Amino acid sequence: MNAAPALLGYAALVGVTAPRVLLRSAWPHRAPALGVTVWLALTVTFVLAVALAAAQLASPAEHLHAGLVGLLHSCGVGSGPAVPDPGTTDAPAVALPAVVLGAWAGAVAHRLLRAGLRRARHRDRLDKVGVRCPRLRVTVLPHATPGAYCLPGLRARIVVSDAAVRLLSARQLDAVVEHERAHVAGRHHLPLAAAEGFGALFRRLPLARHVRDQVALLLEMSADDRALRRHPDAVLATAMYELAGGRTPRGAFGAAGPSPAVLRMKRILGPRRAPHPALRSALASAAASAPFLPLLVACPPGV
Amino acid sequence: MRRLGELEAEIMDRFWRWGRPATVREVVDDINRHRSVAYTTVTTVTGILFHKGHLTRTREGRIWLYRAAATREAYAAALMEDGLGASEDRTAALARFVENLDADELDALRTALHEAERRTDG
Repeated sequence: MNAAPALLGYAALVGVTAPRVLLRSAWPHRAPALGVTVWLALTVTFVLAVALAAAQLASPAEHLHAGLVGLLHSCGVGSGPAVPDPGTTDAPAVALPAVVLGAWAGAVAHRLLRAGLRRARHRDRLDKVGVRCPRLRVTVLPHATPGAYCLPGLRARIVVSDAAVRLLSARQLDAVVEHERAHVAGRHHLPLAAAEGFGALFRRLPLARHVRDQVALLLEMSADDRALRRHPDAVLATAMYELAGGRTPRGAFGAAGPSPAVLRMKRILGPRRAPHPALRSALASAAASAPFLPLLVACPPGV
Repeated sequence: MRRLGELEAEIMDRFWRWGRPATVREVVDDINRHRSVAYTTVTTVTGILFHKGHLTRTREGRIWLYRAAATREAYAAALMEDGLGASEDRTAALARFVENLDADELDALRTALHEAERRTDG
């Protein structure tokens, strides 16, 4: 049995239909961390489906097991016979999916590395110009534009300009810093790099076009939620308005849909209800099992 | 022992404040007014700063004269531009609190805030 058509059909479902459904759903904004998990699970299951389809196409005559075992061995995992018999595993069945998986891992690693280098360079300069504020545990940058940002990762820094310190009240500043601290503590740069790597690799796919922006937005919402645990809604919302309004507005270039800041603002000020626990657990288990679905499609139990 | 980065910052601080070429000896003497630091250490770190491009140097006789490659203000401006994503790089190395908005989006934020205020007042 050749499972390639089924696998490609599954990949199309995940790569084209699923993102459209997810974009129209309301629950990701209500449970942003879960939303990030589901978006990333879609990218993983898509890559695996494509890799397995490639293995099937390379050895259409055989059932997948031989190719799969070979693949697992080439990755240094898997049990069973120590070395697959070269007679049963043909090279393309291993090489093709390995290329798919390698390209994906490479794209993500490339993003992580590039962002890490850029942060290291930024941090090197920041530590010379900025002034550490031990009370807030932030670096204050002497600049007339009000702004706040963070460098996540190792030796993280949270940066506010002194104009932002002057513009915001002490409580507003605390709320902004808490939001940035959530990015650092949650290591939000890692899921973002995974989303960017996938987006760069499968550029034209609807899933790839949306995953980066959606993951970025949901991570912002998740950081907002953490700030809102300690600070009133109005304080964070006002801080956001003040910081955005204190900068020169950019020219409008007709972006599609409402901007992330507007979505976040409405969410901060509106009622925030977490989705029903039943929906939450269903989504969580769907996200957890999604990576294994392509394997089920390729090797139905009992075949 | 202090971190190397702190000494780098101390040295850059001198060059930025002075705004003129200076020798390693001058920097060492100035730092030594607050704390003691070895001449060789400052020489090494000044060399690092030169190789990283933070300092430029010219030779005068047998000694090197160093100066800051750019002003402190230029550094801060470049960092802020990077941090607030004015360069529109798609690599999310840095996470900004709020992106640059256009006038309509700012209006939308203001409206949302006013509506929320009216709800709590009413």
